[in-house]
Amino acid sequence: MEASDRAEDFVPAGLASFGIEADEVDLAVMNAAHQMFWPGIRGLLSLDLSAVEPERNPDMSRSPEAS
Amino acid sequence: MSVTGGVVSALDLSLRGQAAAIAAGEVEATELLDATLARIEERNPAINAVVETFPERSREMLAAAPDGPLRGVPIVVKDEWPLPWRAQRFGAAELLAPTAPGESGPYRALRDAGAVIVGVGNMHELGSGSTGNVSVYGAARNPWDTERCPGGSSSGPAAATAARLVAGAVGADGLGSVRFPAAYCGLTGLKPTFGRSAMAGHHMASTTTLIVSGPLCADAADCRLLGSALFGEELVSGDAAGLRIGVVRDAVSEDVAPEVRDACEAAIEALRTATGGEVREVELADLPAATLAAILAINAESLSGVAPERLNDLHPEISPINRGFTKYRMLLPAAAVVQAGRVRTLMRRRLAALFDDVDVIVWPTTPAVAPPLEAPMVELPSGTHTADQANVRGAALANLTGIPAISVPVGLSSDGLPIALQLQAAWGRDELLLDAAEALERANERRWVESLPPLARAEPTEA
Repeated sequence: MEASDRAEDFVPAGLASFGIEADEVDLAVMNAAHQMFWPGIRGLLSLDLSAVEPERNPDMSRSPEAS
Repeated sequence: MSVTGGVVSALDLSLRGQAAAIAAGEVEATELLDATLARIEERNPAINAVVETFPERSREMLAAAPDGPLRGVPIVVKDEWPLPWRAQRFGAAELLAPTAPGESGPYRALRDAGAVIVGVGNMHELGSGSTGNVSVYGAARNPWDTERCPGGSSSGPAAATAARLVAGAVGADGLGSVRFPAAYCGLTGLKPTFGRSAMAGHHMASTTTLIVSGPLCADAADCRLLGSALFGEELVSGDAAGLRIGVVRDAVSEDVAPEVRDACEAAIEALRTATGGEVREVELADLPAATLAAILAINAESLSGVAPERLNDLHPEISPINRGFTKYRMLLPAAAVVQAGRVRTLMRRRLAALFDDVDVIVWPTTPAVAPPLEAPMVELPSGTHTADQANVRGAALANLTGIPAISVPVGLSSDGLPIALQLQAAWGRDELLLDAAEALERANERRWVESLPPLARAEPTEA
């Protein structure tokens, strides 16, 4: 199946999955948010970061070498 | 010295000037408090920066104030922390997290320094915007042009300080929320290293890995003083001599309004000259991924513990945009949040390596000046964008990785609106950022930190 950037495919299915109600205004905002964020999220998911060793319990107050 | 007028008004002194005048007995703290309350009454209606005052509570704080570095100095605190007599509202009709009055970290820090909390500052609803034009209290307004956005989400603290209702205020920064209003209002704003400044009592204190409290003041020396209170340690002055300045040739410094670009390039050169330092072009790949990663991280943290069905019972006075956006955020996939964590690690390691070669990295705090309240859009070389979209890409890196950042005023546009440069440094080098900001102020002969918006140029009224 091909991936889709269409809000009409994503938003109603997500709302139904979680049992979240939305009126027309909610849907308009959600559709706009989807157009803004979804291409970037798909791009993020497609990044090959397998070589990045995760930080375990990182201390955000310090550099990764120090934490 | 007169409190409200005459040759020198204590109301118009710097934060450190007010503290020194009170300590020297030149100004009565009780008179300064009363004059500050009177000025809020006089000037606040034009900017809606302060949403609540509580004179009796403020007088009680003053009466009990210890002989600390901020004894008797009035401060505004963002509507993001509880006070013993007031729960935070986060600029909204309701929060998804429970709240109650209490002693928050910033409250304790200010109280222990002898400061007096004189009011609560407006903020962008739920902390979700960089403009400050959406709030349950109504939009805050920019003292430089009251038809313009003051920046957000710490809109009220910034507008109150810029209009000289107070000499300093406490904001919070989760994705730029101290730096944006500092930039739009012509102030200096410090986003501390994660974990260094007081955060106890924040409704996300146990879950956030991005949000910090931070000072908003006219200049770096005042940020140093107020920041020292919030950090619980003295931010000692140093020397920025030989500063190695990293410039990233990316959208954050290239896709900006021409006036902003020119002012920031001039400021970078002034900083280099003033410190006897050097400018190096450096690579910092994947900034757009870092921005998205920060958004996903704060999104996941803010919805932690919220059941989806709770979103069917949102308060009717939550703005339509936040109602819809909150529901959308609940749908974002966990796999993206995990991937965001890997981007975070990647960027932290890249920055650690980068800060071996340079001391600071710099780019404009915001790519354009404050947009109109009614339509917060900005024109950039790449086209028209919402201010939020344009602003976040230059701010999120510091929150994602935990490094400190500071916004410093470096000019005025042809419309008379402030322009700002952002400096970022390695973890724990907040003091260096303040040193560099002071060097830049000196290089500019303090022209921009001493510029006043029209509202603050009004002749003070004799009490």
